[in-house]
Amino acid sequence: MSLELRNLSKSFGGVIASADVNITVPRARVTGLIGPNGAGKTTIVNMITGMLAVSSGTITVGGRDITRASAAEINRAGLARTFQNIRILPETSVLENILIGFHRHETCSTISALLGLPSSRRETQDLRNRARGLLVRFGMAAFADHPAGALSYGHQRKVEMMRALASEPDYMLLDEPIAGMNDMEAEALAQVFVELAQGGMGILLIEHNIRFVTRLCQEIYVLDGGRLIAQGPPAVVMKDPAVIAAYIGGEHA
Amino acid sequence: MSNTILGYIPLLDLFFLHLGLAFSQWIVLRAGVFSLATVGLAAIGAYTAGIIATKTGIPAPLGLLAGAFTGMAAALLLSWPLARLRGVYQAIATVAFLQIILSLNIYFEGLTGGAMGLNSIPKSVGTLTLFAATAGTVYLMVAITHSRIGRAFDAIRQNEAVAASLGVSITGHQALAFAISGALAGLFGALEAYHSYALVPTQFGFQYLIAIMSYVVLGGRNTVLGPIVGTAILILLPEIARPLAEARMLVYGLLLILVINFLPKGITDTLVDMLKARNLARRKVAAETAETRS
Repeated sequence: MSLELRNLSKSFGGVIASADVNITVPRARVTGLIGPNGAGKTTIVNMITGMLAVSSGTITVGGRDITRASAAEINRAGLARTFQNIRILPETSVLENILIGFHRHETCSTISALLGLPSSRRETQDLRNRARGLLVRFGMAAFADHPAGALSYGHQRKVEMMRALASEPDYMLLDEPIAGMNDMEAEALAQVFVELAQGGMGILLIEHNIRFVTRLCQEIYVLDGGRLIAQGPPAVVMKDPAVIAAYIGGEHA
Repeated sequence: MSNTILGYIPLLDLFFLHLGLAFSQWIVLRAGVFSLATVGLAAIGAYTAGIIATKTGIPAPLGLLAGAFTGMAAALLLSWPLARLRGVYQAIATVAFLQIILSLNIYFEGLTGGAMGLNSIPKSVGTLTLFAATAGTVYLMVAITHSRIGRAFDAIRQNEAVAASLGVSITGHQALAFAISGALAGLFGALEAYHSYALVPTQFGFQYLIAIMSYVVLGGRNTVLGPIVGTAILILLPEIARPLAEARMLVYGLLLILVINFLPKGITDTLVDMLKARNLARRKVAAETAETRS
């Protein structure tokens, strides 16, 4: 069981954003995806989650083809994501932001929801309690009723993660989850990611903080200019001359 | 004493009728659809009921149901092409829809009475029926707010990409919002037909549309209380400002400009936000004093 990208390509007109990318995200592990700015990391996540049409290649999850599925169908297939440029629901509270994450598990009928029957009210109450559980786990219980739009960047990233986790995905795609956080907060999150992977979740981690990635991942993929230039265990990848050249070259450009 | 109260009955009736339509407008805005179709859908419900009342022997309760049903059916049809449009383009398309409905009213003169409208509709709806319909609508809106459907509406309105990434069907929920909006508009249109003896096409014009939209903008778009407060203020305003009767539209316009500029979320939503902020601050102070004591 894994999330598989095979020969995935995306071109915008003549510009190639991804070319022949092959990535395997297994369950119960944290897989890293790194690369200099503009390497096409977010493009990959957007293609996987159905927010960007795939030019060619296939994406399967547990053997099921989701290459042309809609964003909502892909979530129901067990994938959830966070966003690099934070996308919080600013007008609603932190707790309500998390509640929407439970959407794919809500079972009460439309009629019951429209008429406010007891089954609908029970479900809402039950989900509120589960959302509070997530808040405790992420150390944000005190912020439950705060308007989400007024939180700091680090906290908003956590809200996005809790929201994605609420959908109880088999795979989580985290696009720069610790950007804007201090070392202590990052450390706490690393712990959460390890626990999630131990619980069987497959995580694809996109991050600029190389130390963070090498510590958490058994397998790292390196993108540059839309192509994979290296893959393997952190110790091997970080010594790869192509990777070093890409990063140093990137910094000089 | 009783005479003064009775004097306000027509005003109360007007309040209920307009509040129903305000909720029809409110529910689509809530789901992130910038539709201005409510008045057009109300016209469909009103004429359905009016034709049934004047040309058949079908009793009023069934006429009301038929109004709600045709309003809902028209809204569902309309939601299909609108799903491809966003924002101001939806607004333009729905204004065009209203124009089409008004033209059809003139065109099918044999059925609708054309520009003369429908007359001598037997009055079978009073204040009590209006109150019951409005109370039922308010209950429905509160129930939706606290259900998975309300949460999906709120998510779609604030960020479609996020909603989709969490498995929310955008077209499905927006069609549902339209269906509810259409059923409400059709029902309250039909109530208006059974309440006011006569229907003319001009009563469902652009001015009505602006009035309904104003209730929601003034009151607030995200709380059930919003349309109630907005409708109450704008219906009562002409009564309170009787001495300013000549300048009624001026006062109306001025109030809207002030609210849009200084309370962009509307009166109730701004107040609710302020109350929440105050509660949070109070709890924080309480928590801090508890900490220093221990």
